Amino acid sequence: MRKLKVLLVDDEIMIREGFKRLFDWESHGCEVIGEASDGMEALGQIDALLPDIVIMDINIPVMNGLKVIEVSRVKHPKIAYVIVSGYDDFAYCRKALRLQITDYILKPVNYEEFGSCIDNLKISMYENKASAQQDFEKNDERVISSITRYMQEHLSEEISLSVLADEFHLNPQYISQLFKSEIGVGFLAYLTNIRIEKAKKLLLSTALSVTETATRAGYSDYRVFTKVFKKAEGITPSQFRREFLSRDKQDM
Amino acid sequence: MIRMEIALILVLVFVSFIYFSAGRRNTPLHKAFSALLAIAPLNLVFDAATVYTVNHLETVSPVLNEILHRLFIASMVLVVYLFYKYISILVEEETKKPLRFHLAAKIYLVAAELGAMLLPIHYAVTAKGNYSDGIHVSVCYISTAFYLLLCLWLLFKYRSQIDRKKKAAIGVALVIEAIVSLLQAINPTWLISGMGITLMTLAFYLTLENPDILRAELTEQKMSMLYLKSQVNPHFLYNTLDTIRIQAQLNNDKPTADLLMRLSDFFRLSIKTDKQMTALEDETELSEAYMELMCCRYPELEYNFDFDPDLADILVPNFILQPILENSLLHGMKNKGYRGKVTVTAKKFNNKQDCIEIEVSDTGSGFGKGVKDKIDEILLHFDKEKAKTESIGILNVQKRIKLLCGKEFGLSYTENEDGGVTAHIRLPLVREEYR
Repeated sequence: MRKLKVLLVDDEIMIREGFKRLFDWESHGCEVIGEASDGMEALGQIDALLPDIVIMDINIPVMNGLKVIEVSRVKHPKIAYVIVSGYDDFAYCRKALRLQITDYILKPVNYEEFGSCIDNLKISMYENKASAQQDFEKNDERVISSITRYMQEHLSEEISLSVLADEFHLNPQYISQLFKSEIGVGFLAYLTNIRIEKAKKLLLSTALSVTETATRAGYSDYRVFTKVFKKAEGITPSQFRREFLSRDKQDM
Repeated sequence: MIRMEIALILVLVFVSFIYFSAGRRNTPLHKAFSALLAIAPLNLVFDAATVYTVNHLETVSPVLNEILHRLFIASMVLVVYLFYKYISILVEEETKKPLRFHLAAKIYLVAAELGAMLLPIHYAVTAKGNYSDGIHVSVCYISTAFYLLLCLWLLFKYRSQIDRKKKAAIGVALVIEAIVSLLQAINPTWLISGMGITLMTLAFYLTLENPDILRAELTEQKMSMLYLKSQVNPHFLYNTLDTIRIQAQLNNDKPTADLLMRLSDFFRLSIKTDKQMTALEDETELSEAYMELMCCRYPELEYNFDFDPDLADILVPNFILQPILENSLLHGMKNKGYRGKVTVTAKKFNNKQDCIEIEVSDTGSGFGKGVKDKIDEILLHFDKEKAKTESIGILNVQKRIKLLCGKEFGLSYTENEDGGVTAHIRLPLVREEYR
C-alpha cells in the first residue's frame, strides 16, 4: 500500500507537536505532510496538499472544524477525517459520525493508542471501496473481500486465522499478509474493529444489556469486551450508550 | 392631627424594617439612606409631640414645649440635609465627578442647627389651632428651600448624565417636598411637614432602594462568582495540564506524562460533578484516578476495584466514593506509613434485589479508642450534626445519600477482624432510563 498523507489541524502548537513526534506514523504507513492552525488555513492546505487523512480539532479559530469538513467534503469526497474533541463537546461527535469516513478521538489524546484510530480509517476506506466495487481486477482483492464478508456474517462466533484458513482452504500466513497488503491493518486489528463497530450499533439501536451485546459481538467474557471497548473508544460501553442517547433526548 | 403622624411613623418604621432586614452594601449611598431612615422617624416623633404641646400651651410646661420645638426644627433641618446628601451622592455616582457644594451644604447645616437651637420661639394662637412662627420657624423653611434648590440645580446641571429612572425618582421626590412645603407655608395650621418627609422617603424607597432590586443584584454577583469558580478555572487547569503532559512526553519523560494524564482525567471527571446523580462507573473512574495518583505518591499503597459490570450504569449520588477513600487514606493508612491495601467492591445486596452495597475496606490502623462510637454517633444523627472539619467529608456523604436516596440507605462503618475498617454504602438499585 502507498503511504497515506496526513494533515494536522489544531490551534495549539503543543498538540500538533505531540501528534507529529509522539506517534509512529512511519510504522502505520503514514506521513505528516502539513499543518494548519485555523479553519481557513485548513481549507487552503486541504486544496493544496490533497491529504488522505485530516486530523481535525473542532474548536479552532476563524471557522470551526465541522464546518471545514462540510465545505471541503464537497470538493474532496474521499478524504478521511479524524475529529479531535473535548469530552464536553460530545454532541459534536454525534454529528461527526453522520459524516462518512470519520472517526473521532477524545482529548486528552493518548498517542500510544492513536494507532487504532488510523486502523479504523483504513478499514472504513477499504469498506467504502469494497462496497462501491463489484468486480475485482486482482485475485487478492476478490479473496480478501470474501474473507471480510464471511467475518461480518459470523461475528458472534469464534473467528481466528486458522478458522478462516480451514474455511477458505488457504495458508493462515497468506491470509495474514492479505490483510496487511489489501487493507493496511493486521488481522486482529480488523477483527476487533468490526466487533466494536457491531457492538456500538447494538448499544445505540437496541436495549440489550452490555453482557448480551458482548456475546453478540463475539466476546464471551464481558470483562474483556469492556476493556477492549474502552481502549478503542476512550469510554466504556455503558458510558457510550449513556452519552449518545442522553444527548439525543436533550435534543428533542 | 396626631393620628396622621402616628400612621406616618408606622409606615417609616415598616419601611426601615424591610430595608435593614435585606442584605446591605457598604456604599456611601446606602449609608446616607440608612441615616435618613434612622432620623426621619425621630423627626416624626418630635413632630407629633409638638403638634400636641403647641395646642395645649396652658397645660404643658413652657420649657418642655420649647425643647421639643427646638429638637423638631433641628431634626427637620437634618432630614432635609440628608435628602440633599443622598441625592448628591446619587448624582456623583452617575457623573463620576466629585461635587463642589459639600462644604457649603455642611456650613449651612451648622448655621441652621445653631439657629434652631438659639433663635427665639414665638407661638401663634388662632381659632383654627396653634403653631409656632417667627424667625425660629423660618430656619426650617429657608433650609428646605435652600437644599431643594441645590438639588434642583444638580438635577438640571447634570440632566444629560443621569440615568432616566434615577432622574424621575429624584424629580418626583423634589416635587412632592416642594408642594408639601408650599402648602405648609400657606396654611401654617396644617402642620404637614412630616407628610412631605415620609412621602419623599417612600418615593426613594420604592424606586431606587427597593430591597428586591438589591437582592437580585447580590444574587447575580454570587452566581457569577460561582460561575467563575466552577467553569473557567477547571477548564483552564485541565487544558494547561494537558499541554504540560505533551511537553513532558516530547522530552521523553513518559512517567511524568502518565501522571499528568491521570491528573487531567481526575479534573475532567470532577468538572462533571454538577449533576446530583451519576453512573456508578463514572464515580469509580474518578476514584480510580484519585487512587492511582495517591499510589504514585506512596508506592507501597495498593488498591483494587472489583465491580459487577452489570452495576456500571446504576445511578448513585455524585462524589460519594472519593471522600470515603480519602478518609481511609488520611485516617487509616497514614498511620501505617501508607503501607497497605484499599479494596473497593460493589455488589447487589445479599437478601434484597433492589439494593446495592459498596464496600471500601482498608488495612489501615483502624479506629482509635472511642472513635468508632463517635463516628457512629455522627452518622446516626447526621441531620443534627454541625459540620466539624475532621468528619465533614463522611457527614456530607451521609447527608446526600439520605436526602437523594431515602432514609433507609446510607453510610456505616465496621471494624475488620485483622485490623483496618470497612465503610458500607448502601444504595437503591436505580438505573437511568434510556428511552
